[in-house]
Amino acid sequence: MGKRPTGVAVAGIGITPYHKRGASPDAERKLLLKAIDAAAADAGIPASEIDGFCSYGADVQEGTRLAGPLGTRELRWSSLVWGGGGGGSAGAIAMAEAAILSGHAETVVVYRATAESSSGRLLRAVSQGVFGPHYAAHGVDSPAQALGLRTQRLIEHDGIPPSALRAIAQACYHHAGKNPDAVGHGVDLTDEKYESSRWIVEPLRLFDSSRENDAAAAIILTSAERARDLTDKPVYLLASAIGADGPKWGELDENHEPYTSSSQVSAGRRVWERSGATPADVDAVQLYVNFTGPAVSALIDLGFCTAENAGEFLTFENLIAPDGKLPICTGGGDLAEGFLHGMGNAVEAVRLLRGESSNPVPGARLCLVSGGPISELSSAALFATTDGR
Amino acid sequence: MTGERNAAVEFGQRVDAPYWTGLAEGELRIQRCTSCRKWTWPADWRCPGCGSYDLGWEAVEAVGTVFSRIRTHYPFVPAYADLVPYDNVLVELPQAGGARLIGLLTGGGARIGDRVRGTFVAASERTAGLPVLTWTKES
Repeated sequence: MGKRPTGVAVAGIGITPYHKRGASPDAERKLLLKAIDAAAADAGIPASEIDGFCSYGADVQEGTRLAGPLGTRELRWSSLVWGGGGGGSAGAIAMAEAAILSGHAETVVVYRATAESSSGRLLRAVSQGVFGPHYAAHGVDSPAQALGLRTQRLIEHDGIPPSALRAIAQACYHHAGKNPDAVGHGVDLTDEKYESSRWIVEPLRLFDSSRENDAAAAIILTSAERARDLTDKPVYLLASAIGADGPKWGELDENHEPYTSSSQVSAGRRVWERSGATPADVDAVQLYVNFTGPAVSALIDLGFCTAENAGEFLTFENLIAPDGKLPICTGGGDLAEGFLHGMGNAVEAVRLLRGESSNPVPGARLCLVSGGPISELSSAALFATTDGR
Repeated sequence: MTGERNAAVEFGQRVDAPYWTGLAEGELRIQRCTSCRKWTWPADWRCPGCGSYDLGWEAVEAVGTVFSRIRTHYPFVPAYADLVPYDNVLVELPQAGGARLIGLLTGGGARIGDRVRGTFVAASERTAGLPVLTWTKES
């Protein structure tokens, strides 16, 4: 083994169209193989060269199921981030980073695929059985309900104004309006349209909620040095982290503390420490928006605003490209581009920094990707146009 | 879905089996460490406070305060579909170290911080075959 790499970068991305749930013409694994092929083509390498596989949550598409059809020459890394929900979506990137920096693997694909025909309804697939009898006996058995409980306390107890939730939804749909590939393209989410949309679980409305889509995405990471050889637009991973902050966190049947935390304090703190960047340096956030309430909690925990000024900071104008203080979800995100359990956010981060986003942020250098908020653990990854080291 | 999380698999072997047995007998029982006296909830095999495996159960009064609440409009749970919209509360039990329980709220009108009282309800098909507490705002 040669010298260990000192940096990691994205060499290629691949993503299928977002199909309406259950509407994919392909089975889940076929969709995924196509996305990996697209990422390999983008990186200019044969797919058989990929030697590491990382995913998260409820993924059943293990690396060992992909190595055969990809003709993998040597399988050197295969791992899943534990925890239900999308908490590990940026954590899978952290695993790839760990594998590459340690020298275990050289070319690692991070991926997620969901197709209802293969994995069933998303609310079952992503919740991974965490809603046990203490939930189900009382008619509570979905992420919308559990995250509705968190959101209600965020609003009623912590004082987050509902306007902050609406601003997040409107920014996402605004960006989708400029992305012809977005599922929510063409939806003009006016105040009236938002306020009159039906309740799913009070305090969450239809437009506060992510979608269910059939799709697959893959990102190929390798050493920064090699990525520079492969592509003229490497996107550097400055830092990533997985974690959960206590005093009480994990699978705890709503006994978490602090209850309205997004579970991103730990991952966020370590991303800032490792990269030397601060929230003020970030040009855009590809924010995981399972529902708008947890997304507000994530922005607070990651240091972009506080519970006290969230209402003032989280406005439509501040959250949109190109000129907002903190553009979020520049492709439309989980709410309006399409929901791929958060994997679409990392793809959009790469697009934005390559200058390929449908909602460009001129001169953008740093883009943060957040993992699913209010999961048993969460994660974050910070990407950049230049190697910050 | 199989394993420890599944209500149908060897229910009596679950770490929280005494909780459900208690509800069936009209008593709210919460786990507590016999060594350091810390309330340990949700129930588990090891006390996170002192590391003891010697955990017991204590009966507490079925009263608490609303910690959070939702009103479900979409019929996520088939057995509850005929009830939509229905209210759930997350109830904090100050008398049990702040342990929190999810439950159905009947009669509505409860906000965060309000006091609620639990009623023991027998197991039914709706409640996944489990005895439950339902909660009502105290006047």
